[in-house]
Amino acid sequence: MAIEKNYYTIDPQGKLKCVKCGVPLVKGKAKFMYLDNGFPVELPVCPVCGFVYVPEELALGKVASVERALEDK
Amino acid sequence: MSQIQERGSTHVYKVNKISKEEMESMVARCVYEQPPFCSAACPLKLDVRAMLKAAAGGNFKKALQLYEKIAPFPLILSQGCEAPCEGKCRLGEIGDGLAIREVERAVARYGEQSRLGSVFRSAKRQKIAILGSGLFTLLLAGELEKKAYPVTVFCEESDEEAYLRTAAPFLDEEAFALELRRLKGKEIRFECSCRLDAAFYEQHKASFDVLCASDEVRAKLFPDSAPIPELMICEAERLVSGPTRGVLDAAFGAKKAALTVDRLAQKLDPRNTRGQEGPTDSLLYTDLSEAKALRRVAVPAGGYTKEQAMEEAGRCIQCHCEECLKSCAYLKHYKKHPGLLAREIYNNTQIIMGDHQLNKPMNACSLCGQCTVVCPNGFDMARVCHLARQNMVSTDKMPLAPHEFALLDMLFSNGNAFLARPQPGFASCRYVFFPGCQAAAIAPETVRAAYEDLCSRLEGGVALMLGCCGAIADWAGRTEMAQQAHELLDRELARLGDPIVIAGCPSCAKELREHGVKELRGIWDVLEEIGLPEGVHKLERPMALHDSCGARGDAATQASIRRLAASLGVRLTDTPYSGDRSPCCGYGGLTAYANREVAGEMTEQCLERSDEPYLSYCMACRDRFARQGRESRHLLELVYGTDAGAPPDISEKRWNRLTLKRSLLRELWGEESMEDKLNFELNYTAEARRMMDERMILTDDVIAVLEDFRASGEAIEDEDGLLVARRRVGNATFWVKFSRTDGGYLVHRAWSHRMNVVKREG
Repeated sequence: MAIEKNYYTIDPQGKLKCVKCGVPLVKGKAKFMYLDNGFPVELPVCPVCGFVYVPEELALGKVASVERALEDK
Repeated sequence: MSQIQERGSTHVYKVNKISKEEMESMVARCVYEQPPFCSAACPLKLDVRAMLKAAAGGNFKKALQLYEKIAPFPLILSQGCEAPCEGKCRLGEIGDGLAIREVERAVARYGEQSRLGSVFRSAKRQKIAILGSGLFTLLLAGELEKKAYPVTVFCEESDEEAYLRTAAPFLDEEAFALELRRLKGKEIRFECSCRLDAAFYEQHKASFDVLCASDEVRAKLFPDSAPIPELMICEAERLVSGPTRGVLDAAFGAKKAALTVDRLAQKLDPRNTRGQEGPTDSLLYTDLSEAKALRRVAVPAGGYTKEQAMEEAGRCIQCHCEECLKSCAYLKHYKKHPGLLAREIYNNTQIIMGDHQLNKPMNACSLCGQCTVVCPNGFDMARVCHLARQNMVSTDKMPLAPHEFALLDMLFSNGNAFLARPQPGFASCRYVFFPGCQAAAIAPETVRAAYEDLCSRLEGGVALMLGCCGAIADWAGRTEMAQQAHELLDRELARLGDPIVIAGCPSCAKELREHGVKELRGIWDVLEEIGLPEGVHKLERPMALHDSCGARGDAATQASIRRLAASLGVRLTDTPYSGDRSPCCGYGGLTAYANREVAGEMTEQCLERSDEPYLSYCMACRDRFARQGRESRHLLELVYGTDAGAPPDISEKRWNRLTLKRSLLRELWGEESMEDKLNFELNYTAEARRMMDERMILTDDVIAVLEDFRASGEAIEDEDGLLVARRRVGNATFWVKFSRTDGGYLVHRAWSHRMNVVKREG
């Protein structure tokens, strides 16, 4: 079985709750897409409605730096 | 809501080449890389500047290494050189030129000889013979030894000492002893007491790959052949030789001859790839305004002592042209002279696959044109960066992110906030007031006062047009978007009866003129003509005038502004870099959006020029100075006695434009506009507001997120009980962290990213 690559993982550890579904967010599979490039990641996801959460630190840190790198391609 | 199409992919494999010739001609204007005048005059191309710098610092070893690059026998050259460099020293124009040759003598005497050179080189296979004596043969042997050729010198003298004596009879005894030691240390084979006649030549010629001879021996062997002076060769006989006159000419002849030998040994045509040889003219510019007129250090009989040589070398002003680097915060930031930066930016446009590392510098130039004025050669960095931006846009390689906010702002100015109306009571008008998008955003009450004043005092009706001139898209290199803006303005101007445009901003004036608006005047021209409005409050205060980069090269506007300021009672203090040499405040060229760090440095540099409050005539300048905490006023605020107050944040700038349009529509034209009323209460913490301004998140973006939340109920709740909702708006996803209040929400934080995130199955 091929090992699946994840560029980034955040485990919510039960600390976040989906307001709509009333259930805790779990570590789930998600994908960042930008300028025709895709990056599989694991982020806090609602197991019911699929809401994917991007925390502020991630958005301003890793995500922003990958954006800059891709923009200059 | 307006949107701009993001480029679809990073996988675009096309380039739209800027003509290399065009770029080269632009780059060539930068004289930074031109040699200093002393080096240009030296046929041997000695790096005089670097040698003097090393000597001035007491590093005679390094100085000698530099000197030995052109002089295999440094004492011979320094004692006998005619020193054409000295006549070209720029210090000679204000005092004594540098005693370069005397410093060279000291370097040759005190410099410790480096022994590393021969350890790492491998000897070449081709064997070279040199027949005869004299300075040319000695120096040629030295040059060829440096190139690692096995050299044999055949001479009539009895030994090396006699050979050296013949070559350099002018050396004093100390120098002679040193050079003899140097000669013996070189890998040059000597065959002495030879009879150099035709028979000798015939006997030896087959044993060598290349043969060279003194001019005397050459004349004896081939009396009828004439060597080519540029190549130092008798071509028919393949004999490297030629007459030389004087020490420097012999050194230059030996250098040319060594290159010819090198080419022949490699079986190449000696004519090819020789580069530029001999003395040249330099186009370098040297600012002598701060140079001191000094006498040269007197030379004692035995030459300089170490200390004297250091003192004399220390007088060198190290000729460099850095006029633009002195005045431009952008070039200072990147620590590169513009010729080099332009070449790198040009190369950036040519990359098909890989990283465009120069995108950031390319987008950081304010396109203000200051460099072109301060450069003695008129180097135009703005054109380089502007062309490169247009090129990257046209090939779909330009990232949208650095300019998207500004471009959306332009679409807002020419969309929701746009207004074009004739003066009430007029079907068509003689004039139209075009204050510019920044004036409406930063000082709406000043715009209103100016418009009302113009309406009341000008004959023939004054229409009003609130919008963007297109400069934003033009600066971003987005030609099509700029064209759309110009077409909108053209259409509306035609509808208003093609009135004379009264521009409130010099950058708009410039942009509109460049794009074909025929009749245009600045509001400053009009105010000078009709006089200041009645009851104008005179100020008796000093202020520092900051000239707008939009008025560069426009002496009439600059003069008009000064007269108006004087008639308002303002005492203008003189600042360095004023008028055409004025720097950009950091807004121009969209630097403030694409590179805040550089924009900040530009603003700081503007403000360093004076401690007085600043007076400007471009609202963007006024805004950036005020944001930096300096008292800053626009000329029109003084004329109309208005005060735009503290600088607005990015959302307030939009709100100001919209509110100005709506209130004028209501009050002057009796038109009510639809206002988007929020059906919930929305408040922000101070931290959230500051964060939004810094992160370019508008209140409209926050409202979009919360409206979406109200419709879908989608949000998460964090550990602290705060809610976080999100919405994709255009090319970005906005996140808002908030709490519920009685009638609505309190926003605590906001952030965004451009990447799209989706759930993945499996």
